[in-house]
Amino acid sequence: MVRNELILTDVTKRFGGLTAVDALSFKVEAGQIYGIIGPNGAGKTTVFNCITGIYKSEEGSVNWRGEEIRGLTPYQIVDRGIVRTFQTIRLFSQMSVAENIMSGRHIKSEQKLWHGIIHTPGSKRDELANWHRVEEQLDFFNLGRFAATPVGSLPYGIQRRVEMARAMAVDPTLLILDEPAAGLNDKETLELLETIFKIRDKGVTVLLIEHDMDMVMEVTDYLTVINFGKKIAEGPPEEIQKNPAVIEAYLGSEDDDDE
Amino acid sequence: MKELQRFGYPIFFVVMAILPHLLNSRWQAVAITFLIFAVVALSQDIVLGKSGMFNMGQALFFGIGAYTTAILNSQFGWPILATIPLAILIPAVFGVLLAGPIVHLRGDYLLVTTIGFNIVFVQVVQNNLGGVTGGPNGIFGLDSLSFFGTDLISQVSVYYFAFAVLMLTLWIMRNLEGSKPGRALHYLREDQLAAESIGINTRIYKIFAFALGAGIAGLAGTVFVVQYSAVSPEAFNFIQSVLFFSIVIVGGSSVPGVLIGVFVMFVLPEIFREFATWRFFIFGFAMIAAMILRPRGIIPATFGKIPKFLIKESNHGA
Repeated sequence: MVRNELILTDVTKRFGGLTAVDALSFKVEAGQIYGIIGPNGAGKTTVFNCITGIYKSEEGSVNWRGEEIRGLTPYQIVDRGIVRTFQTIRLFSQMSVAENIMSGRHIKSEQKLWHGIIHTPGSKRDELANWHRVEEQLDFFNLGRFAATPVGSLPYGIQRRVEMARAMAVDPTLLILDEPAAGLNDKETLELLETIFKIRDKGVTVLLIEHDMDMVMEVTDYLTVINFGKKIAEGPPEEIQKNPAVIEAYLGSEDDDDE
Repeated sequence: MKELQRFGYPIFFVVMAILPHLLNSRWQAVAITFLIFAVVALSQDIVLGKSGMFNMGQALFFGIGAYTTAILNSQFGWPILATIPLAILIPAVFGVLLAGPIVHLRGDYLLVTTIGFNIVFVQVVQNNLGGVTGGPNGIFGLDSLSFFGTDLISQVSVYYFAFAVLMLTLWIMRNLEGSKPGRALHYLREDQLAAESIGINTRIYKIFAFALGAGIAGLAGTVFVVQYSAVSPEAFNFIQSVLFFSIVIVGGSSVPGVLIGVFVMFVLPEIFREFATWRFFIFGFAMIAAMILRPRGIIPATFGKIPKFLIKESNHGA
């Protein structure tokens, strides 16, 4: 039995002369809520892109459940149970909320290409079963009344929820959230915290990037702080808060980060 | 929109079913042409409208289907009906082979590449490849449709054959809408990176769209052969592809939109034949006006249906 662990070892990603991620190593254990923080431009999103296959890191290893996943394509990585959301919401904006969530069922659906031409009793059953799974996500994220609404016309906070619902529809083992609280008001952030805890209680490991320090301190079990692509500290939130290097690099410049 | 769906289709089918009996032979021919081009335009919609790939070479697949039927009939004496499976399969295989290396290209680059394919095809058939394509004159004097030994020569029977092909196409498009592959096409059209990040192998689905569109266009090619008993290169040139492209853009990526587009592009010119070339002048302006007033097409795409049990309370989408 392999443990659901994500281990990054010396991951390095360069863009031309710029080293966005510099020999970064960390380990996310099963069931954790793991946070990555750092000032703007520290390379946090690049790390996520390296894990999820959008970029391929030049060096190092990304190991998931004992398997090297560096260099796999994004859809192959989703197939292995790692799903992400985006900092700038990327939904299928002309399509309804339910259809957006249904996209998360794509990889679990058993329909073949030719089922796009002719339906069979099996494909109809599969279709219905997956819509029922969408219904579960609509209920879980309290999105039921928006099911038929085109997602582009919804407020920002609800779009964030739709994006998480879409990711959760995949039944992921590891959920990667890129600044899930960005653009949310205080009430929505509180709801988000509850949701993240509920997702963890379902047995899903959560890896998140966040700017909102209060939220990070409250929600995460373990933190890695990066600056200029390098790890400057790691530990549980209460230790990180006291770490002088972190205070200097990140907390000290918190005012600059407000967008 | 809902009312249009509920009543529009039955009315359309009834009208189309009795139409040939109300028309003289010239207008029957126009109606058959409408049906053939409607099928090709719908196949173009799968690639351009649903998947958002700028394919400017749909006449190529239409032509491969037509030439497949024509060559099998003229050279090998196959009855027209027997050529249908190959007239679907060969364009579909070409769809896979041609799309495979190019689907990763961005919109405008893809468009130029597909124009190239179309031009190469027309050149190949004009130069009488292998001595079977008949050169610039094409192939003529082909057999008429025969069904279990009975020749169906009349325009009306050709009309019903074309109508059956359109119905089949509409049925396939409906099945596509309510299936995983059909939704995958919408997702990759809306946001390719998001689609890949949620687990969709976009490359496979793009090639699938090309192959399916090519197969349907190939079948329309067979109907074209039945109607004209002939094929010639200029029926499948680049300008035809431009028309199919424009139909989907102007009509909007929806079945009614595409049908209206075909009507406007192919039937209205016949109705206004007495105005000679002036009609194309009006046309140009009509296209410009349509795009300015309705940038997403006359009847824009409505996305796939969601099951009723998911729609709660009164908060319906547009």
